[in-house]
Amino acid sequence: MAVKDKLKTDLFPTIWCPGCGIGLIMQQLAAVMDELGLDKNNTVLITGIGCTGRMGAYMNFESVYTLHGRTLPVAEAVKLVRPELNVIVVSGDGDTASIGGNHLLHTIRRNANVTVVCNNNEIYGLTGGQTGPTTPKGTSTISSPAGAGYSPINLQGLVNTNPNAYYAKTTVYHQGPMRKAIKEAIQWPGFAFVDVASQCIENNGRRIGFASANDMLQNYRTEYKAAPPGSTRLESHQLGIVKGSPVPTPASGSAKSEGDLATSSPAATKSSRNGE
Amino acid sequence: MTKRLVQGNEAVMLGAVKAGASFFAGYPISPSSEILAQASVYAAHHPEFRFIQEEDEIASANAILGGSLAGAKSFTATSGPGFSLMQEAIGYGHKVGIPCVIVNVMRVGPATGMPTMPGQGDLNQARYGSTGDYTSIVFYPSTVAECYEYTIHAFNAAEESRSPVILMSDAFLGHLNEVADLDTIDVPVVPRTLQPLASGGERLFSGVATYPDGEPATADADEFIRQYYESRDHRLKVAERYNFHEYGWNKDSDTLVVAFGITRRIAQPLAAHFALFRPIRIWPTLDKELTEIAARYKKIIVIEGSDGQYANVVERMLLRRVERVPLLGGRMSLEAIREGLDAIGMLPAEPAPAASRAAASR
Repeated sequence: MAVKDKLKTDLFPTIWCPGCGIGLIMQQLAAVMDELGLDKNNTVLITGIGCTGRMGAYMNFESVYTLHGRTLPVAEAVKLVRPELNVIVVSGDGDTASIGGNHLLHTIRRNANVTVVCNNNEIYGLTGGQTGPTTPKGTSTISSPAGAGYSPINLQGLVNTNPNAYYAKTTVYHQGPMRKAIKEAIQWPGFAFVDVASQCIENNGRRIGFASANDMLQNYRTEYKAAPPGSTRLESHQLGIVKGSPVPTPASGSAKSEGDLATSSPAATKSSRNGE
Repeated sequence: MTKRLVQGNEAVMLGAVKAGASFFAGYPISPSSEILAQASVYAAHHPEFRFIQEEDEIASANAILGGSLAGAKSFTATSGPGFSLMQEAIGYGHKVGIPCVIVNVMRVGPATGMPTMPGQGDLNQARYGSTGDYTSIVFYPSTVAECYEYTIHAFNAAEESRSPVILMSDAFLGHLNEVADLDTIDVPVVPRTLQPLASGGERLFSGVATYPDGEPATADADEFIRQYYESRDHRLKVAERYNFHEYGWNKDSDTLVVAFGITRRIAQPLAAHFALFRPIRIWPTLDKELTEIAARYKKIIVIEGSDGQYANVVERMLLRRVERVPLLGGRMSLEAIREGLDAIGMLPAEPAPAASRAAASR
């Protein structure tokens, strides 16, 4: 095992605040990458703007730190041009679900064979703690002092509009389930989304009453429960995985049957539509 | 060697293929949509050519950045409103150094404007549309054969400059059908200059100011300035090799007409009366060439499909007043040019042959 080889430890300590949850995701991602034999020649990281996007700079892979919200068009294009590569998107909830929301919707629809690991801290952390698309209703933030006015976006529901997609909900406290989910997601033939609840103590946690990052982790421990086996829909604060029916992926290098992606032959456009 | 009818938009697609393009991402928008459609047809018969119809132009522009990084010569085609949506990604391509080509088939703006009518109002957007300072290379052909030729040059310049290069066209030129023999046009193709992703390296492609090792350089002016001048000087040097322009018509006239793209074609019947300077490389401006030529003429008239975007550039470049004939609202015709010349007291005394034909036909 050489998990450390996946990380640019000479650049440590990272830019992230003490107590941030992103490092806990990076650690498990690196472990999975090592386990699956992912390396600089077969894997690319695509990251978005926000604290999470810095992860690309700390890992020993080639990575693209995209514009805010644009991870998915870049990732899908890389996969389309180089189907043999593992394309892993790492980004935050604001980047993915708000400014990148339209791309998320359509990348899900096209069942792009990319893996998204979403650091979901329910806040815009890098800009100081504004309401995000995942902020629970009523949460006091610096842009919603009287409480966030709307319900958060339903990421699970969005992903599951594609019956061939993979969705997992986990937290940074639940390292084992998170690792399992990241591994399965990378191996999933089609769109896979790992929704990781993760703490931002500096720009969210303290404001909403947590004394420390550890308190937030303990809150994940007590509040999140495993969903009953066989669940096809996760309730709020349930850990679990909802898998669609996997669509077989093409052999490496083939342009012809990348599901809905490559309209590279008339046959490909007619076959493997969503819902098959 | 076959002469046949070719449409301007089709010639762009054929030029892209000739240049080695293997990835197209786009979103339908008049008057550029034929390029999207033909890319999809081409992909259907050539599996090595990848195609995706995106959800919008933001995705299209970002996708060609990703496609290019992944190893494919990549391009998209759009028109004014879509071109606006692509500006942030174009800036990213300049910052990171990503070769790609954006075709902008101009219509009348701003906003949705006049979707099927020709305009030339995106010149400033092609130069200054994104945030910050950067060096755009922009070409604008005048004929269908040139659409083919300069598309190849655009891909070449993109590779050499490591930046998004813009190929301008317009609703008339894009939809113009002309007899052309594209096989006779021989432009050497520049191979890829960017090592594709996952080549065993550890590169970080970042829109954020960073040091070469990937660490943020977001408050280091010296590093920013070093990187900025390095890319600017490189792109200006590359652009010098693409200083395409046309100087002709009646060079003995005392008046120089500056016209480009479809406008130069429309103004052709005035050839006996004026000298012509046609910039094909719109940006960076052809300062050396135009300054030298303009010095020979008493008067300069800029005829263009905008309210003076290029005239302003010429005035500033030459530090002398130029006359303007703006062709607005899609009214790009010889009649409109003649009216414009009349309005500034510069209509040639003899009616041009084409104009009398038009009058006689009424």
